[in-house]
Amino acid sequence: MRRDPLANPEPLIRRVYSYVAYRVGDGPDAEDLTSETFERALRYRRSYDPNKGEPIAWLLGIAKRCIDGRGPVRELASEHADEPVESDLEEDTVRRLTVARAVGGLEERDRELIALRYGADLTARQIAELLGARTNAIEVALHRALGRLRETFGPDADSEPVRKREASR
Amino acid sequence: MRYWRRRHEPFDLEAELKAGRPEPSPDFVRRLEAEVRDSGRTRVGGRLRVAFVGAATAVMLIALSGVGGVGYAASAGHDAAVSVKRVVTPGDVVKVLKRSAAIDQYGPKKKAKKKVKKAKKKGKGAKGKVRARTRPPFTG
Repeated sequence: MRRDPLANPEPLIRRVYSYVAYRVGDGPDAEDLTSETFERALRYRRSYDPNKGEPIAWLLGIAKRCIDGRGPVRELASEHADEPVESDLEEDTVRRLTVARAVGGLEERDRELIALRYGADLTARQIAELLGARTNAIEVALHRALGRLRETFGPDADSEPVRKREASR
Repeated sequence: MRYWRRRHEPFDLEAELKAGRPEPSPDFVRRLEAEVRDSGRTRVGGRLRVAFVGAATAVMLIALSGVGGVGYAASAGHDAAVSVKRVVTPGDVVKVLKRSAAIDQYGPKKKAKKKVKKAKKKGKGAKGKVRARTRPPFTG
């Protein structure tokens, strides 16, 4: 019997949304794109082949096409957000806004990798399968993207190499 | 960036990226989840309906075949097909199958069969020989 890729949709929705929001910014645009992704997934759920990968990888492929089909992203939604002020916002919200803004300042390719690794919570190997690249190349690219992201945070950010962590997985 | 600079404590960038990843609103998640689940249910419901109809048909066929209903239905179907064919077929010609005296006299004439003459044997047969013997000889 064929396995239903959308049997347990809740965690999939969260991961797809996080990926999309890292790519285009948190807010209604990300919600629209996530909805569009699941709409297409429902339409083509029969085409899902479990031999080719996990349902999340299949969904992220659809989400990627949805984002690419939208054309260039004008501005990340998080850039419109107000300056985070510690006194009237929860620490969690401040953290999210700051991280989202830092990621939004990256190049498209770096943002894609960060979104897949930390938004959708994929491993370097899964990212490599999705993007049709070698795992080693993805690890190196992620390491560089994190380095560039650290530069935006300043000298406070630690510098634990991502490759060491990827290798330990 | 101010936030990070304000807090002069080291932080793990990867952990922050994971912890600070954008989360969808609970309302959005609930709505989309319901949509996805409803769609799946409709699909399963459709399959169940088809399965039910198939099973009901099979049960009816088995029940009918037990009392000869299948043969009866088949002959009825055949009769119906013949009737329809009769109505639909153009140039409805009624063929008279039985022969009668009237048909023989007034019906369409049959083409006469050519009689095949038997080829006569050349030469005198045994009969001729006998005649020749019995006839008196020609004297002139």
